[in-house]
Amino acid sequence: MTTSILTLFDSILILTLLWLGWRLLSSEDIFKAVILFISFGLLMALAWVRMRAPDVALAEAALGAGLTGPLFLAALRRMNRTRKGERRLDSDEKREKDQKTDTEQT
Amino acid sequence: MTILYHSGTVFIIIGVLFFLSGTVGLLRFPDIYTRLHALTKADNVGLGFVVFGLALQSGTLTVAIKLLLIWFLVLIASSASCHLIASSAMQKKIVPWTRP
Amino acid sequence: MSVMHLLFALILLPAITVGMVRILRGPTAADRMMTAQLFGTCGVAILLLLSVGMLNPVLIDIALVFALLATLATLTFTRRTWQGSDKRKNDDPLS
Repeated sequence: MTTSILTLFDSILILTLLWLGWRLLSSEDIFKAVILFISFGLLMALAWVRMRAPDVALAEAALGAGLTGPLFLAALRRMNRTRKGERRLDSDEKREKDQKTDTEQT
Repeated sequence: MTILYHSGTVFIIIGVLFFLSGTVGLLRFPDIYTRLHALTKADNVGLGFVVFGLALQSGTLTVAIKLLLIWFLVLIASSASCHLIASSAMQKKIVPWTRP
Repeated sequence: MSVMHLLFALILLPAITVGMVRILRGPTAADRMMTAQLFGTCGVAILLLLSVGMLNPVLIDIALVFALLATLATLTFTRRTWQGSDKRKNDDPLS
């Protein structure tokens, strides 16, 4: 009974993690990918718990959800000043010109 | 002892039902404020019932107090973030849903 | 004795998994962020049930970390990501 419940738990967890990783990598929207990454970190901590490694789970929850997620979200705000949330790899000169037009608009 | 254990089981079942209804609310409700309401309130009440049931079953006072402190922390944290999301949604002038 | 708690944890896991549909479907960015909040609250409950079911009291501390850090992401989101983008027009992907 116990082993069958745990097997079911693990298989749901593994399938969710695989689906989450696939959606995270194939997502067009960067913000959606960041949220999926945070969710992936929290579920991965549950997976580490099931692998009887609570210390790694602690590190995964702290790093994946607490540190990397907010850093990504803060970086997204800065990237957002360019067009459509996509990073533009052109010169700084053009970016300054864009910012100038932004301030003129407001 | 067994009375405490079984009453704890009943509390955990009630809490799990609250969690499931919170998820259904997150999926089915029409706009951001109602979803926030379902998520924050129903899930925190569910966590409260689960924690209370586990505290009744734990048998030792220290573990019970630790569990209740965890619930208190979750309560503070999630009400703070609910308030932040709702106030910034109001600042962005998202109109609350009304019955059409 | 611990089978019951494992069963409840197994019931709570689909509540998280189904909630992830809101990340893919949610119209605004805050709807997507709310799912991280669901992960926080529901993950705490699953970890507490697992700590009784797997007879491992260390998992209560991981539940504490979950409770604290899912909120940190929401806080950063409202303060850093979602604010101030209303100056831009409708082409903002986060609106």
